[in-house]
Amino acid sequence: MGQEEDVGTVVGDDKLVSPAKTTKKPPSESAEGIRVRGLVIFSFWAIVIFLGLPVWLWTTSIHRARLPLQEMLDWADGKACKSTFPLQITIEAPSIQEPEAAHFVRMTQHALDDLNEFSAHHLRLRLVKSPSLERMNASIPALHGLETGQDPQPYGSLEGQDDSALTVRFRPQNGSQPARVELHPHSAIMDVLYTQNQVPSVSSSSSALATFVANKLQELFAEEQATIAYILSHSAASAQSTGQSPHISSTTSSGAREIRSRPNRSINPEMAARLASRMTRSLKYAPTYHVTISLFTPSASPSSWDIEAALAEYFTPLLDSISAVCNFTVDTQVQLYATFSPSVHVPEYDAEHGVWTLQEEDLSGFINAAEWPLSPSIGAGPTLNFVLYVPDPANSPLVVKGSQASSWLIPQWGGVLILNPQDTNATSSESTLSKQALQPALLTFSHQLLSFLGAPQTPPSLPLQLQTLTRIHAASLLLSASSTMGSLARLTVALPSIAIPETVSIAVDTTLRHLRQTCNALREGKFSDALENARIAEAEAERGFFEKSMVGQVYFPDEHKIAVYLPLLGPIGVPLVMSAIKELKRIWASRKARQQST
Amino acid sequence: MKTFLFPLLLSLLLSCLVLADPDYNERLDLQPLTPASLLASFNFRSSAPLISYERQHFKYIPRSLGQILQHAKTRELHLRFTTGRWDDESWGARPWGGAKEGGTGVELWAWVEADSDAGSFARWVTLNNALSGLFCASLNFIDSTRTTRPRMTFEPSSIGFNASNEDLYLLHGTLPREVVCTENLTPFLKLLPCKGKAGIASLLDGHKLFDASWQSMAIDVRSVCPSDGSECSIEMEQTVDMVLDIERSKRPRDNPIPRPIPVEGLRCDESKSYLQEGACYPSDVSNGQSWTIAEIFGRPIQGSCLAEDSQGSPTDSVYIHVPNEREMYIYAGTETKHPSGTSRSFTLPKSEPFEMVLSHIGPQSFNNHSIPPLYASRSFTGHGQERGGVQTLLTNPSTTSPISFIYFETLPWFMKPYLHTLTAHLSSSSTPNPHLIKETFYRPALDRRRGTQLELLITIPAASTVILTYDFDKAILRYTEYPPDANRGFDVAPAVIRLLPPFGDAPEQGSQAPVYIRTSSLLLPLPTPDFSMPYNVIILTSTVMALAFGMIFNLLVRRFVGSDEVEGWDAAALKGRVRGRLMALRSRFMKGGKEKKL
Repeated sequence: MGQEEDVGTVVGDDKLVSPAKTTKKPPSESAEGIRVRGLVIFSFWAIVIFLGLPVWLWTTSIHRARLPLQEMLDWADGKACKSTFPLQITIEAPSIQEPEAAHFVRMTQHALDDLNEFSAHHLRLRLVKSPSLERMNASIPALHGLETGQDPQPYGSLEGQDDSALTVRFRPQNGSQPARVELHPHSAIMDVLYTQNQVPSVSSSSSALATFVANKLQELFAEEQATIAYILSHSAASAQSTGQSPHISSTTSSGAREIRSRPNRSINPEMAARLASRMTRSLKYAPTYHVTISLFTPSASPSSWDIEAALAEYFTPLLDSISAVCNFTVDTQVQLYATFSPSVHVPEYDAEHGVWTLQEEDLSGFINAAEWPLSPSIGAGPTLNFVLYVPDPANSPLVVKGSQASSWLIPQWGGVLILNPQDTNATSSESTLSKQALQPALLTFSHQLLSFLGAPQTPPSLPLQLQTLTRIHAASLLLSASSTMGSLARLTVALPSIAIPETVSIAVDTTLRHLRQTCNALREGKFSDALENARIAEAEAERGFFEKSMVGQVYFPDEHKIAVYLPLLGPIGVPLVMSAIKELKRIWASRKARQQST
Repeated sequence: MKTFLFPLLLSLLLSCLVLADPDYNERLDLQPLTPASLLASFNFRSSAPLISYERQHFKYIPRSLGQILQHAKTRELHLRFTTGRWDDESWGARPWGGAKEGGTGVELWAWVEADSDAGSFARWVTLNNALSGLFCASLNFIDSTRTTRPRMTFEPSSIGFNASNEDLYLLHGTLPREVVCTENLTPFLKLLPCKGKAGIASLLDGHKLFDASWQSMAIDVRSVCPSDGSECSIEMEQTVDMVLDIERSKRPRDNPIPRPIPVEGLRCDESKSYLQEGACYPSDVSNGQSWTIAEIFGRPIQGSCLAEDSQGSPTDSVYIHVPNEREMYIYAGTETKHPSGTSRSFTLPKSEPFEMVLSHIGPQSFNNHSIPPLYASRSFTGHGQERGGVQTLLTNPSTTSPISFIYFETLPWFMKPYLHTLTAHLSSSSTPNPHLIKETFYRPALDRRRGTQLELLITIPAASTVILTYDFDKAILRYTEYPPDANRGFDVAPAVIRLLPPFGDAPEQGSQAPVYIRTSSLLLPLPTPDFSMPYNVIILTSTVMALAFGMIFNLLVRRFVGSDEVEGWDAAALKGRVRGRLMALRSRFMKGGKEKKL
């Protein structure tokens, strides 16, 4: 009812106004004219909405390539891969009967499993019938000559050792001495010397020898295990996900075992601290490292050193032996008139020991970064600096206060050694440092180099250390690439206005593919394959994350946009909107009128 | 012939010194040019066997530069930082025959090893980027538009290896706009073995060097393979030449503001015929100037730097070119007078400061006798924003022999020369003389990709002036291509002139050091837009479009009626309606108020 009344008043108003003021009325519009006008307005709006708007959106949109965000986050949270490190250990027991040997291996395996607290890293024993047969199967006839070899594998050919991390050879010995093990320092072979009566019979359920061997093996790999556990737990702790430490969670269903397998429990605090310090000081893995050895002296002498010969004798052999894991370039320089940075205290004379001393807290500022030309080398890969400092004769000998040490490490940067000429009488007055004088320095630098690479201390066999390095690097690269993926995914989500070029998408795909391959290779125990794939994954991940075109974000402030759009949109928009409102009103009114008339 | 005396003398002396100590030597030449100005030439030469350089064992060749050169496969490098203009008219011939100076700003040319043109350019870009970081200069802005490949102007100074090898490419780049300052000197000094802490380099101080009337810093690296078959070496030469205004340099550092000289201290020119009582015309010939090193350079030389020959006896490092009769006093060190009668040299004490006083007693001698072999000056002609011209005046001062030289110019791409307007005529005649230009090498510019390269072989008869002119068009740049402060103008690199040895005695002078002359740089004004232009354009086009749109839209949508038939907009009705609304509002408020009261 109210509606009708409203319409009535409007009509009445019209009637009231028009006859009073207007003398003439415009001729009534033809229905055709009204329809055409409606169509014109409609077509303008159609062009604006269906052509103008999409073109505007298309031209101002930022290209964002599609990224597999969920998968990337899964990798970062460790849900995508449970890394395991199954180590194959070959048992050669030619002197033990086959069923007995098999039983013995089973028992040793049981003992090992009981000892192992960290299930991701486990040792798998495998019995080989006879060494010669195994080698025959594995190698081509051209290598036949190696089959008898005591030292068959050079350090370089780690690929050939993919299947077995260590060979344990059982060698009978006479007499009744207790069993003992001998680790070869230059090959991945451990000899177990035993007496015949120590071998358990098939029926026996326990054996002292099996426990002994298991203990020895566990001991051998304890540090590596702890390191890997540390790396994994460290990354898990830093991961944001609540699903803590999925890498290391045990696959068994037993809850108690799972708790026990937490690495924090399996590493004692002292070990953890040692690992932490080693991890912070070691460099990130790279295929190539640049080593710069510099001679610094505050005066004009010694102005030269016999470094080429000294390097060839004391340093290069070590680098050659590590070359399977990574490559090195070595350069040297001599820098005279190198003064301390102003923050370092002047050395004090310690009359008690007859030495000049440096404050221990000054050691971190000892390198005068502003003055000493220790810029990184050109080319890919980090630079390791080894600084040989020869103090002024007036301040010599120079040592660190308290510890009386003369060399120290600067984490992830390099090592410093103060060479006091008194150590070797030959160099005290001459301007050239001889090869012999450089020997202690280069040996110190060798030790420092190994610790920068993160090499473990314990297995005293170099091939085993290098294998350990391979596994540690593979694990840390896997985790680092995964966390880069996670960061990239979070960045993509957090910044909606960042452009993501196609190259990033390709890099992410490559990274994920290689991460999967790494994971599989780890599971299958092909550690050098894993390292190779992890290396590629890491490189690709870094390339994707640091894509140049992503760094510069396109950003226009809102007032900027208004300033550009308003001069056009204002004058065009107002007539368009007004006409549309008018037209809608008219349609509304005519519909009402039609409703009323019906 | 006289004109070649100075550089010849220097090169002869230097070649003697090079034989004395193969590894490092330094030398300072002091040469009064006019009574008021003093030329100080610092020269530091270091060398190393090529083998140890290639194995990256650096001693006196700095590691930072050596690694850059090896990374960019650069066989020979010449880098120049220059400010100011050498005043030929009063200072005479240039030091080192102009071979150790560059055009205003930064100039760089290098022989790069590569397998193709494109490959050499990629290495050149690498080299520029690396040097840019090392020397804190904008060398990374040497792009393809600023790079040329001169044909005749430069010849490699390396000895012994075949420079015409297919795989060596010469590239040349200039940055005439670069302001050379302390931040370039500091890395320059760091390349020296003694780092500016000892030896003559201790005199190099940014305050004095960049306060000089003219200064040039040069770095040259070349390889030398002696023809006698001894081992090849790499040689690096660092040179600093500066012309000091003695009066200006003697101002105390803590009180640098010039103050009026007391009447007693005034030096008046008494030779004027119109001299009156109480008037003083300052004399620029300040005869009998005396100075000390500390007065001129702000400090004495801080001992010697590796100034010992292979026998361990000290070598001369400071030379001064004044007549032997002029009185001099030195503190520490020893003095040697040379038989030529116009120069003497000094050895520096090992670690104590060296100071020298040049007294005003004795005859004066200046560099006046060495007339430069050629005077060159270049300037713009014409007016307006559209086109202009370049005019170069080249004067041969020799009254006896003609001179021929190569004139090398690089022009930016936005300066488009017309080669057909290139004419050369003698100043005595107004008609062009086609025989003056013997050869032309011209490489036209490509917009935004490369600049113009022009090399001319010109011969000038004795005692005449050649005027070289050509016309050019000024291009209009894109909005984003203008540098900040575009209204200052665009710098055009100086022309390089290489004098060819006289035809007659070319054979015996084949090994003579080349003689170069550089003109000053030019400032080219280009039409510059108003930089608020984009907004103006946006608003103007928007207005035009809105106008057009509005007209068409209204034509299509509006209904046209007679002026007396217009509906609505009745002022009385509008008034009534507004009043009605107001009344309604008021009544509502009143009602609300009443209700509240109630």
